Amino acid sequence: MRAFELVEPATLREAAASLGADDSTIRPIAGGTAIVLMMKAGVFRPERLVSLRRIERRHAAIERTAEGGLHIGAMATLTALEHSADIRAAAPVIARMLRNHSNVRVRNVATVGGNLAHADPNMDMPPVLIALGARVTTISSDGERSIAVEDLPAGFYQTVLKPNELIAALEIPAQHARRSAYLKCTTRAAHDWPTLGIAVSLGDNDARIVISAATERPMRLTAAENEFRDPRKAAEAAADTVKIMPDARGSIPYKRQLVRVYVERALRAAMEAAS
Amino acid sequence: MSETVRTIRFTLNGETRTAQIEPHWNLVDLLTRLDLFGARESCAQGLCGCCTVIVDGTAVSGCLHLAAFADGATLSTIEDSHGLDAVQQAFIDTGALQCGFCTPGFILMTRQLLAAHPDPDDDTIRHYLAGNLCRCGAYAEIIEAVKLAAKRPKA
Ligand SMILES: Cc1cc2nc3c(=O)[nH]c(=O)nc-3n(C[C@H](O)[C@H](O)[C@H](O)COP(=O)(O)OP(=O)(O)OC[C@H]3O[C@@H](n4cnc5c(N)ncnc54)[C@H](O)[C@@H]3O)c2cc1C
Ligand code: FES
Ligand code: FES
Repeated sequence: MRAFELVEPATLREAAASLGADDSTIRPIAGGTAIVLMMKAGVFRPERLVSLRRIERRHAAIERTAEGGLHIGAMATLTALEHSADIRAAAPVIARMLRNHSNVRVRNVATVGGNLAHADPNMDMPPVLIALGARVTTISSDGERSIAVEDLPAGFYQTVLKPNELIAALEIPAQHARRSAYLKCTTRAAHDWPTLGIAVSLGDNDARIVISAATERPMRLTAAENEFRDPRKAAEAAADTVKIMPDARGSIPYKRQLVRVYVERALRAAMEAAS
Repeated sequence: MSETVRTIRFTLNGETRTAQIEPHWNLVDLLTRLDLFGARESCAQGLCGCCTVIVDGTAVSGCLHLAAFADGATLSTIEDSHGLDAVQQAFIDTGALQCGFCTPGFILMTRQLLAAHPDPDDDTIRHYLAGNLCRCGAYAEIIEAVKLAAKRPKA
């Protein structure tokens, strides 16, 4: 890695102001687990990194909202989520998913904001958050806005965030009687990156079914959602319609077969899950 | 290069230290320059745990952790010891190492594991240590060592 300038502002607002409006060599750094890897690989060569490590501590808080949902600061670590009693009560699927996510040391430092801004299409948490109907609140010199997690990825490693826009918080709505499940298929070890991830959130009259690690970005499988009452039919509809992107972990026919198997299993798991 | 050098202050294995660092250094770069070689970079991608360092009480992969983030922190490495503790002794007694390259990381992670789960079952041990790789394949003995350490009184 080459030398660069590191700044450590004390507030989120200052951090946003330290980012360039259209300079791709200036990036925020949170846990650093993704961006340091990209720097080591030479795919990202920063002139300046803006560390979020010293911003106000409230941006790492996990809180239950009055409506029964969750407000999670962008700097909350995955370990904090994994062990939070509020998460276990309001969205237990997140805690279950995290047990098989990366490893203890990565979870100890990786943050919610960094996880969502990274926009790697092969991740475990984004599909779960999309299924739960989560949104992020962002801040930039233009002010604040709210973006559905579903709309955050703009493609392969790309988001709709502007270069000087920071994720401030994640908002997960109250799930009421909805039941959720996430199934991760790995081909080498249980904690590996997913070869396929399927997240399901089931209501009385609808289902949200989200695919990860097989398409250009995590996305809802609407053809399967329309057949949600019959898991077998839903799985066939998903396999017939999904546009798969192959990678080192699986070819198109292999991943298509995994979709056929895992959409059915994930729907059945959600049906059996406690709400 | 020199214009980006910064001075950081931290506690290392109980001693207050200062160091001049470059912003792109990671914790392993910092520690090796201080003649500490227990945390070693192997996979360099956060996967194997050979570079494990305890920062403010939590385990991190030194290979992905900027040295600049150590400013104001308390670091503990495998060198932070006064004689062998129960975990180290259990690794020796069960033969849970061959070349020993992975051992500092496994010992540090096992201490964290036992602090969180004093009497772990196999499943808990496997999950917790899934991010540590032993190229010599001493996994069966490592799990035995963790269980043995759990049974022994803490020093
Ligand atoms: C060994 C290893 C194993 C892994 N295994 C898995 C796995 O099994 N499943 C999985 O899903 N993922 C896995 N990951 C990826 C991991 O989830 C991400 O690296 C992590 O979530 C990124 O969070 P961070 O805080 O470290 O981000 P950083 O590396 O700090 O940042 C990532 C990106 O987000 C930007 N950014 C950071 N914070 C903000 C913010 N608040 N607002 C806007 N932009 C921001 C940065 O500029 C950068 O572009 C693994 C990673 C490693 C190293
Ligand atoms: S060298 Fe850091 S985890 Fe392998
Ligand atoms: S003892 Fe050789 S790598 Fe583990």
